Amino acid sequence: MKFRAVREGLLLVALACLPAVGEGVYFRDKISWQSPIPASELVTVDQARSWGDGAIWVDARPDEEFAREHVPGAVSLNEDHWNELLPQFLPNWSPGKKVVVYCSAESCNAARDVAKRLRDEAQLTDVFVLQGGWEEWLKKKK
Amino acid sequence: MFGVRCSAFSAAMKIVWRIVDLILGGIFVYAGVIKALDPVQFANDIDNYKMLSWFVTVRLALYLPWLEIFCGLALVFRFLYRGGLSILTALLAVFIGATVAAKLRGLDLTCGCFGHASKNWNFSTHLVLDLLILLAALVLFSRVWRTEKS
Repeated sequence: MKFRAVREGLLLVALACLPAVGEGVYFRDKISWQSPIPASELVTVDQARSWGDGAIWVDARPDEEFAREHVPGAVSLNEDHWNELLPQFLPNWSPGKKVVVYCSAESCNAARDVAKRLRDEAQLTDVFVLQGGWEEWLKKKK
Repeated sequence: MFGVRCSAFSAAMKIVWRIVDLILGGIFVYAGVIKALDPVQFANDIDNYKMLSWFVTVRLALYLPWLEIFCGLALVFRFLYRGGLSILTALLAVFIGATVAAKLRGLDLTCGCFGHASKNWNFSTHLVLDLLILLAALVLFSRVWRTEKS
């Protein structure tokens, strides 16, 4: 049983490599291979600030953190209350405006997820993730 | 008389085990297909666990769904059955461990195991479902083990 299971398992492990490689080739341009967020979708604090009124700031952190403090003029839009908050956010957007999404820090994923949903579900273009998130914004504010 | 009853019972149990095979295999084929269709989303879901580098994560996101599909098919068609069952049991154990560890570290995450269908499941729902699947896999495993011995 033991050796047969190992032999069969190894065969399955090897077999699964074939379509995985094929899929990797197929998705090679859609996958960000080096970092979770492609460089073209990231924006620095200085760059985002330079856009002035041409950008809408979106806070993807939980409600309590947004209530405590946020980037001036930012709109709260997190995944916990996506269905309620999205309709409140959309009137702020107009074609040509850039959207800058941020969460707590470099390591958080909320901004990336919200940015993806804005692109996929709300069909918005020019959606960027703030590099370093709220932490970086605080540093630059000083 | 007793012999007839006994063989009827064992035939019925064979059907039950076959149904368990099909359900378990079907679950993994479905879960694998959903993830293979959107590897970017699955990579993000793995990344939420904060356990692996992005380099490893993105490659796992391309590979794991296919491993699940192949192992699921192995259970459905009873071809390379033992290997498929062993891998699925190991995958489940690793996944449950990773989910519990993430919860203990205070991470609030979606597993993405079944695409959008599982997006809003809470931790308890995930855990109960995973443990049930693991239990089914272990029962099948012990059955194969006993059949081999006898």
